[in-house]
Amino acid sequence: MWIFDWLHGLPPIWVYLLIPLAPLAGSLVAGLGGWFLRERAHWAPIAGVAFALYLAIFVLLQVLHGQTFYGNVYTWAVFGNLPVHIGFDIDSLTAVMLVVVTFVSLCVHVYTIGYMHDDPGYARFFSYIALFTFSMLMLVMANNFLQLFFGWEAVGLVSYLLIGFWFTRESANQASLKAFLVNRVGDFGFLIGIAAIYHYCGSLDYRTVFAMVPSLVGQTVTIIPGHPWSVLTWIAILLFIGAMGKSAQVPLHVWLPESMEGPTPISALIHAATMVTAGIFMVSRMSPIYEQSATALSVILIIGAITALFMGLIGLVQNDIKRIIAYSTLSQLGYMTAALGASAFSAAIFHLMTHAFFKALLFLAAGSVIHAMQNEQDIRKMGGLRAHMPITYLTFLVGGLALSGIPPFAGFFSKDLIIEAVGESSLTGATFAYVLLVLGALVTALYTFRMFFLVFHGKKRMDEHTQEHLHESPWVITAPLIALAIPSLLAGWFFIAPVGLGAFLDSSLQIRAQWNTIGEIAAHWQGTGAFLVHGLESWPFWLAILGIALAAWFYLLHDGVPAALNRLLAPFTWVLRKKYGFDAFNQLVFVQGALLLGRRFWHWGDEAIIDGGMVNGSARLVARAALSWRRLQTGYIYHYAFVMIIGLVLFMTYFMIWRG
Amino acid sequence: MMLTTTILFYVFSAILLVSALLVITARNPVYSALYLVLAFFNAAALFLLLGAEFLGLILILVYVGAVMVLFLFVVMMLDINLERLKEGFLRYLPLGLAIAIVGVLEMVAVFWTAPIGRVPAPGPIPANADNTRALGELLYTHYLYPFEIAAVILLVAIIAAIALTLRRRPDTKSQAVGKQVAVAVRERLRMVDLRGPKP
Amino acid sequence: MQNALFHWSFAIPEIWVLAMACVVLLVDVFVGERQRDVAYVLSIFTLLAAMALTWSQMGQTGFAFFGQFHLDPFTSIASFFVELLSLLVLSYSRKYLLRRSLYRGEVFVLLLFALLGALILISGANLLILYLGLELLALSQYALVAFQRGNLRATEAGLKYFILGALASALLLYGMSLLYGLTGTLDLHQIAIALVNVGSANYLLMLAVVFLVAGIAFKFGAAPFHMWLPDAYQGAPTPVTLFMSSVPKIAIFALFLRILVDGGYGSIEIWRQLFVALVVVSLVIGNVVAIAQTNLKRMLAYSTVGNMGFLALGIVAGTQNGLASAFFYAVVYAFMATAAFGLIVYLSREGFEAEEISDLRGLVRTRPWAAFLLLIIMFSLAGVPPTIGFYAKLAVFQALIEAHFIWLAVFGVLMAVVGAFYYLRVLKVALFDAPAEDLAYGADDPLAASVLTVNSLALLILGIVPGALVAFCYHALQGVL
Repeated sequence: MWIFDWLHGLPPIWVYLLIPLAPLAGSLVAGLGGWFLRERAHWAPIAGVAFALYLAIFVLLQVLHGQTFYGNVYTWAVFGNLPVHIGFDIDSLTAVMLVVVTFVSLCVHVYTIGYMHDDPGYARFFSYIALFTFSMLMLVMANNFLQLFFGWEAVGLVSYLLIGFWFTRESANQASLKAFLVNRVGDFGFLIGIAAIYHYCGSLDYRTVFAMVPSLVGQTVTIIPGHPWSVLTWIAILLFIGAMGKSAQVPLHVWLPESMEGPTPISALIHAATMVTAGIFMVSRMSPIYEQSATALSVILIIGAITALFMGLIGLVQNDIKRIIAYSTLSQLGYMTAALGASAFSAAIFHLMTHAFFKALLFLAAGSVIHAMQNEQDIRKMGGLRAHMPITYLTFLVGGLALSGIPPFAGFFSKDLIIEAVGESSLTGATFAYVLLVLGALVTALYTFRMFFLVFHGKKRMDEHTQEHLHESPWVITAPLIALAIPSLLAGWFFIAPVGLGAFLDSSLQIRAQWNTIGEIAAHWQGTGAFLVHGLESWPFWLAILGIALAAWFYLLHDGVPAALNRLLAPFTWVLRKKYGFDAFNQLVFVQGALLLGRRFWHWGDEAIIDGGMVNGSARLVARAALSWRRLQTGYIYHYAFVMIIGLVLFMTYFMIWRG
Repeated sequence: MMLTTTILFYVFSAILLVSALLVITARNPVYSALYLVLAFFNAAALFLLLGAEFLGLILILVYVGAVMVLFLFVVMMLDINLERLKEGFLRYLPLGLAIAIVGVLEMVAVFWTAPIGRVPAPGPIPANADNTRALGELLYTHYLYPFEIAAVILLVAIIAAIALTLRRRPDTKSQAVGKQVAVAVRERLRMVDLRGPKP
Repeated sequence: MQNALFHWSFAIPEIWVLAMACVVLLVDVFVGERQRDVAYVLSIFTLLAAMALTWSQMGQTGFAFFGQFHLDPFTSIASFFVELLSLLVLSYSRKYLLRRSLYRGEVFVLLLFALLGALILISGANLLILYLGLELLALSQYALVAFQRGNLRATEAGLKYFILGALASALLLYGMSLLYGLTGTLDLHQIAIALVNVGSANYLLMLAVVFLVAGIAFKFGAAPFHMWLPDAYQGAPTPVTLFMSSVPKIAIFALFLRILVDGGYGSIEIWRQLFVALVVVSLVIGNVVAIAQTNLKRMLAYSTVGNMGFLALGIVAGTQNGLASAFFYAVVYAFMATAAFGLIVYLSREGFEAEEISDLRGLVRTRPWAAFLLLIIMFSLAGVPPTIGFYAKLAVFQALIEAHFIWLAVFGVLMAVVGAFYYLRVLKVALFDAPAEDLAYGADDPLAASVLTVNSLALLILGIVPGALVAFCYHALQGVL
């Protein structure tokens, strides 16, 4: 295309470098010049991210033409025989991620202008999200584990900063802390995994490590005596623990709903579209490792399926609009994880992509609603917004239908592909996972349309004041909604064959023949149309339709039914409201336990032994030595000369004795 | 001939060592300076014995003629209180002595066990040898670089000495010859009307 | 034929500096008090041109002046750094010198001569040349320290420095003469050849090395030969301290490298043990005594002692990597010290030296940008990532561990922790204490401020992307063994 012509003249490395650096530059400008730019602070980050998107599309086109790249750009340091490189691995998987990340990021940037326009932290916010974009790009472009880890931690850090963006709110602080701590658990596993890779492969470079994987197949390590485990299984599971933290899989999911304390654009960008999918991306990237361990794949499959269904169920009883979407994100991440477990990496990436579009759309639309409702988030206090906010209404509907998996919306293709792939899988637990995922389709449609009907249809339940101020949001908010609605509608139809079936991604992935579920589906592929028609005859579709119908029946036609059901299923809903007790358990065991332990350590260990004995003791010693030695510095020349001579004679004497 | 030279060498060396010792032991600094002059003379004599007459003469000219005279001036002009200098001497004597003895013993031991490689004796000196010329030739070719650096060091020493000591006192009276010559008649003589206003 | 042996074109930077020093001296005589800037600008120009000349020699190798002058990568790179550091010193000091009527041609000339001494040291390939270079460097510094004649503390510091320096020179010279007696030559390469037959068990060689190391340690300021250093640093005018803490460190590393590596690598088993002792004593004295200091310049002087200990760790390692890391450390330390003393220069005004730690109270309120730069400088000195100071320490420790000196590395890390305390205390005073009401820092000096900013930010930025600097420094030591 002509708009890319000039880029062909540049060395490819420049283009690759500019992709992450452009948002970084934007972030720096907004961050350092924020005091001066104030409400103009958005220009630099938006320009940076837009430029990155432009370059990302160029790179995608290049990759389509077969021009990939693998290599180091800059050697940051060499520790012994461990070189630390900044390097890029540009292939189809990276290219897809680049476009998705920059596109969603750009939409969110534009949206933020409207959403945050009178916030005192306007410039800070832009600086953070541009920094996030930079970190995420570094993560997906990495060609080695250290850079991956850098990006991994950096997105975590920005996520922490953004969840706690309104730092004067107690709940925001707590939520950010929770996210940080839970991610620490995951990252700990991740870090040990990386260390294990270095230990066994002696390198952190992707290709070197992948080339060594076959030689590790037979190796075992014994951690519990008598039970040798495959090294690769350990590595795979440790890395997956990292993915569980970042992609919020049970039981490390508890931070994601809380993260909704952050501003809505963040929920869309970080906690729906990009960061939380880093785990999915990472596992796909590591497919050569995962493919060697059936145990690890089974674990992933089961955890993913559990997350998919049970987190969706919690969504049914939530009343906060953002939390409902958050639980739906958890559930969808579960679908992606399950796809990974079934070796359907391409399907996972495909769902990641469509989900990024429609979930970002839903969040931004929810944000638009919240904005119009004067920051009210409780769907019980909404209703009948359809008339006031037509664009938000329509785009939300598109997002909702895509989420529920109704053809021909994007979500249908990706989700159906995942369910099919899991159905094909022969791993331990595959049948169990399949059932959970199919039931999940019903639940998804139900909570989505419960929310949809309660917000946009029915009686207006808000107070007078709010009602008077209801209005459609300005164009900077609606434009991104429309921009995201288009791929939510079309991405599935167009991309299922190249992305979902893996033709395009094949070069980045490595799948063993016996688990090649996607290959199985591709073998019987008769075109997208046929897939669509086939989907109309399958369980998930009818369950989704049933879900929508139930939602319509409960919340549009017969208001009394939910209350009656509630009474009927009281024990069940109680469990859901308590979120299966994860929070209570964490609170009781980890928080209270840690506090107790901490206090003990504080009083006995810190105060008594370390502070009293070691720190103050040694500090006193050092201070005393410092004072007395300082007195040696008398100021007399002959003293100084004398010290020199003594030193000299000591040196000589040492050699006399040492040699003599 | 050989014997005479040897005897002379030992005589000059002995006087040199004794006077060098006296330089540091003499109570009166003027004596010290004078002993140093003696030591220089003997060193110059040793140079002459080696046939290095240029070095010998330069030593006398520069060190005795210039440096030591300056030294004597300074020593005589300063009021040095010997008693104050010796304060604390006894206090540090034991430790100092111990260190010195250990150091000397060790050095002696080293030289005893590891004699310095003997330099082969130079060949006979040619009859028409002109060591001023020989030195000059070496200095400006082979040793040009160190020679230049030494010159720079001297330059720095001069600059430093002047910069550290030269001061312009505003209250000293001095002749400004330039001004004197350039003066005009009118500046020299000013006519003043002393008659005062008429009554 | 003679010309071929002279090869004087290798020494063009040295010749240029010498010639221009004389020009500045003469020009300064003829320009009046008002046009002092002429001499100043001329000096700056001299340094810039010297850097360009040195840069243009990069990559050339060979000997000049009958093997007394050695041009190799180390010569070019180290020369470039000392010229750059001298330039920094001059740029920092203009206002300071002006305010104290020190803005005189002699100061610039002496500075140029000191630089010349450093350049001669760096390229010396002969014991005689090294000694003369060292004396030139030292003599200029003695004069600079005592230059503020009316200041009693400065003259006292100058005198102490002079007498003790002479003693150290004597030790060094004695060591050199022993080495000469042992090998019969002053040429370092022939010494290296001669030492092959001597072996490190030779008592005379031990004695020679002991004296040489003692002399070098004095010039470095490594304990127990450091006693002159705090007094001289504190007494000297701050720009002179600035110079003393930067340029000579690289020059003395060159002295070490030339004598004990180029010439005396055969005696590594001897000097390595001496440096172990120097390291231990320096690290302890430097880091511990610094804690008790209330004067910032004095504290930084002890920090120099400690840092020379860290530098010597690389020397102890003694390998290619170790020496390269030591050189890298010397360069990094020189730039950190320049920034630290530069900050003091920048904050001072007439009658107020800003040299007490308490003078920095609440700096963040009165001069936020300076406080930010102070933060970078102190972090870098303490070795906190991502500053370059962290990197320098890391390189040294790494080389040390490669050479299997594990316990020494552990000890070094512990001492680095102790050292962090007093750097951070400065920050605590500057960032958290209430500003004193009666403090007024010097009027803003755009030149010094911008140089300080560039200097300090470089510490941070080079810490983030250290690759080029590391490669540059390691390249200097390529093929030295």
